[in-house]
Parts: sequence; C-alpha cells; structure tokens
Amino acid sequence: MNVLRAWIEERLGLRAVALFLEKKEVPRHKHTFLYYTGSSILLFLAIQTVTGVLLAFYYQPTLAGANASIVRIMTEMPLGWLVRSVHSWSATFMIAIVFVHLLGIAFTKAYRKPREATWVTGILLLGASLAFGFTGYLLPWDELSLAATKVGTDLPKALPVVGAWLTLVMRAGEDVTGDTLSRFFIFHVSVLPLAVLAFLAVHLFLVQRHGMSVPLEEERKGVKGPVLPFWPNFAFREAGVWLVLLGLLMTIAVLAAPGIGPQADLMAPAPEGIKPEWYFLFMFQMLKLFPARVLGLNGELVAVLIMMAGMAALLLLPFIDNRPFERKGKVITALAWTGLAYAIGMSIWSLL
Amino acid sequence: MNGRRRMIAAAGIFLLGSLIVSGVPEARVQETPPASVKPAAATAPGQETPAAPRPARERMAVYVLLAWVWLSIAVLFGLLRLRVREADRVFRMGFDRAAEKAPKGPGY
Repeated sequence: MNVLRAWIEERLGLRAVALFLEKKEVPRHKHTFLYYTGSSILLFLAIQTVTGVLLAFYYQPTLAGANASIVRIMTEMPLGWLVRSVHSWSATFMIAIVFVHLLGIAFTKAYRKPREATWVTGILLLGASLAFGFTGYLLPWDELSLAATKVGTDLPKALPVVGAWLTLVMRAGEDVTGDTLSRFFIFHVSVLPLAVLAFLAVHLFLVQRHGMSVPLEEERKGVKGPVLPFWPNFAFREAGVWLVLLGLLMTIAVLAAPGIGPQADLMAPAPEGIKPEWYFLFMFQMLKLFPARVLGLNGELVAVLIMMAGMAALLLLPFIDNRPFERKGKVITALAWTGLAYAIGMSIWSLL
Repeated sequence: MNGRRRMIAAAGIFLLGSLIVSGVPEARVQETPPASVKPAAATAPGQETPAAPRPARERMAVYVLLAWVWLSIAVLFGLLRLRVREADRVFRMGFDRAAEKAPKGPGY
C-alpha cells in the first residue's frame, strides 16, 4: 500500500493539495451554514451527471423516439423511473440551493472586493443551470413541454433587431420541431456541460485563491474571528449535510416521481395549464400580467427589457454596489429584498 | 485509531453489502425485458404514463430500499458525528498547531 501511495505521489504530487486543505480555514460565525451550499451544489451536479449519462443510454432525441424512449425508460428499464426521478428532482434541488447560495452571498455582500470575478462566474453558472432546466424541459417531448418551449422561445422575438434571429437560432427554424429537439438535446448534454465545467473551474479557482469571505459585520469588527480547519473538521460536517440531502432526494424521488404526458403533437392546439419550471414562474406571471401597450410601446418588449435589465444588474452587482459599507450599499440591499419578495410573490400568484 | 477505522470500514461494507443483497434485487422483481424496439407507450395514446412502479411487490421493495438508505445514513451520520467531535477536540487542544511549532531535528 505504501509503495502504491509513493508511486502515485511521485507522479501526481497530491501531497501539495493535502497540505493546502490542511491549512485551509473556514471562518466561524452565524452565517457559516451558507458555506455548505457550495459543495451541496457540486454534489447535485455530480448526481445530475451520473443519472444524465444513464438516461442518455436509452434516450432518443427524435420526433418519433423522444417520448417513447422515456416511456420505455420508465416502464421497461430496471429502476429507470427512479433514475429519471432522481435526475429531475436533483435538478430542482440543485437550482434551489444555487438560489440559496446566491442570496446568501448577495445579502452578506460577499461579492465585494476582491471577489467580483467570483460573483460574475457564479452568475454565469446560474445562467447555465437555468439553461439546463430550460433545454431539459423539452426533452420528454410531451404536450406541456412543447407548449412551454414554444412560449419560452417566443420571448426573444419581442426584442428589436436581434429578436427574430435569436428565436430562429433557438428553434433551429421558424417553429418548434424535431430540429429544435435535437438542438436542445445537444445543448443539454454537450454544450452546457462544457460551459459549466469551464465556469466552474474558474469559480473554484477564485474561491480557493481569495478564501472564504466573512460577512460585512464580521469584517467591520476588524479582528480575525474564530475559524475551523477545513480538513477534517469542516469536511466531515459537509459530509453530514450531503448525507441528509441525499436521503431527502431519494425520499422525494421515490414518493413523488414525475410522470410523462402524451406525446406532443405539432399540429395540436396548446393544452390548458401551461406552466414552466418553478424557477421561471415569476417571469411567466410577469409576462401574463403585463399590459399589451406601455407608453405606446409593445408591452412584451417592455417586460423583456425589464427582465434583461434585472439580469444585467445581477451580473454587475459587485460593480454597482462598490461601497457596501455606505448608504448606497444599504439602498441596494433594500432593493434586493424588494426584488426577492416580488419574485416569490409572483411565483406564488402563478401557482394559485 | 486503526481499530476504529477498521470498524467504520467494516460497518460501511456491511451496510453497502446488505443494501445490494437485499434492496436492489428485490426492487428488480420483474425480469429485465429484452430491449424492445417498439416505440409505442404502454398506455393508450393521449394518456399520461405514471412514473412509480405499479406492482405492489415492486412498490414495497422500493420502500424497503428507502428504509435501508435512511438506516445507512443514520449510521454514517453517527460515525461522522464522532469524527467531528474528535477533530474539534484535537483542534481545541491545539495539537495540530503544536506539531507545526515543534523544533525540527538536526539537519533541518
């Protein structure tokens, strides 16, 4: 065993990594629990990858085969329904924890200097996660997923100049067809995973480079607070959180496995009760409520522009909130709380 | 220390083994069907396909599997708690920092 260890060490030099982890410290304060969210996201990403590969063995991204292959996975493959359910639920868990991670960072203002780039890569990862959800929603190719994708890909059309072109690129044609399905599948299993890997590598490097941020109020005290060694004290705690999350995931996946609707018919009218995934509900509701014309402008265009402005503000938040200790920082925090309450309120309204 | 490690490893192997032996094959009470090429769904056209397994025995087996998962988690959680307590105690006593400050032998 020692010979093998020495052989590996000589080639990979893992001792340096082990030493780094031994020296790494995690600040202890009332928000320490937020540090567990980052690794939990990675856990769900790993589950997504494994279950996604298993599903891809049998999934056929064609008009005739998409829905039927998922029905086959669910009814004929041993525990296929469970693998699909775990894939679907771990996506929900992952995005929920991504939101908690993001909100935790936003409200403790952990994006402040020198962690602006960490925040930007984090937002890009959030975008990629949402794109995973959007592309994955079409893959079962049932009535609801087709209708929701039609609505979703129709949105950019409202934008001047590039709008129609964007919709054309997303759909691989004028309408949602089998080509859209192939395009979404390729994005879901190839383009987005590569993008996530690239963003994640930079994000993790920056997290290690700058260390874990402490909340604003802790930094204000000006003295170094209590810390916890990452290895083994924090890592074991993280493992405990992972175990509980795994148990919850398995329980929900077994008890609330998602079904699949009838195969989509390109000629059929849109079914009743079209709803996107829960994380797009507030946008969906906002579009539904927006008047047709606002100040002489197309209402949909105004709604899309407001959403785009919100996304840009989120991406550039560390540069906008460059004085977090001052009044400006407090105003931005109040605005962020208002935005959060609005998004939650709209989502609940959409479900009613 | 080594004894405890061996105990943890043995408990882990036992749990994993029993999980595989009892849970998974039970969940697979239906023989794996030969890969069919028929694209048609098991349900009538226009009907939603339910996700969970329908045979009562298979459903029961899944619940057994779930119970095993939670039992394994409870045991592993207990073991982790012991390790965390021990690690925290070592950290509080400052053994790790003391080792860093220890004078090095001749030649260093």
